[in-house]
Amino acid sequence: MVHALEEVHRLLKPDGTLIEIHPSVEPPPFVEVRTTGELSFSEDDPGFDYVDDLRDAEAAVATVTERGVFAFEDRRRFELRTHAASVEELRDHQVVADAYDPPQKEEELARRQDEMYARVNDLLGRTSGADLVYVEPATMSRLTPRLR
Amino acid sequence: MTIRIDPEGNETAALHELVDLNGREVLEIGSGDGRLTWRYADGTSHVTAIEPFAGSFARASQRLAEAPTDRIEFRNVSFEAFAAGSDADVFDVTLLSWSLC
Repeated sequence: MVHALEEVHRLLKPDGTLIEIHPSVEPPPFVEVRTTGELSFSEDDPGFDYVDDLRDAEAAVATVTERGVFAFEDRRRFELRTHAASVEELRDHQVVADAYDPPQKEEELARRQDEMYARVNDLLGRTSGADLVYVEPATMSRLTPRLR
Repeated sequence: MTIRIDPEGNETAALHELVDLNGREVLEIGSGDGRLTWRYADGTSHVTAIEPFAGSFARASQRLAEAPTDRIEFRNVSFEAFAAGSDADVFDVTLLSWSLC
């Protein structure tokens, strides 16, 4: 990752800008259901199992700033919210979205995730007009190249 | 209803708060199916959007075929291969789009 960031530095003009976007470690992604705007379900995704990858990414950014390759300038935190009509639709979408890196979840995590989505599905079946949302808290950082 | 990703525009709002993309030469690394690309490309000079996964690249290309523009170029290539064939000091802005981890 550090080498990739060094290559990004090479491709950028001296007065260029790097924008780095990644999911936040804390808070983790979560699932919520809103019925007529009111929150009726909210739980962390039990299948969230890529904390180590995120920490590696953050460490790589920290390394290139410590080395003076990039200077950190500013940051925004935001929620990427994916809305779906059903659990089936959401999970089908996640399979496609994760297809480049199919998650091999631990059996226990997968079981807990299935159990949570079963409860969400039950709730949606009892509620009309509910909005199912998968929420990914994320961080966007602006860095500028240094060290020419 | 189909899947709607960030209809609130949270990601795009954060992006525009952090960087002015008007007239800029942009490299997006890990552009996926172009979900974010289409949201900021207007106003840029040009976007080179690279994505190593063929399935995502195919979806991005399909959408580009449906709404052609010279402003966006999707390429099915890894960053390593792209960088190896690229000159230095080319881009005003690089977006590492959910791709460092």
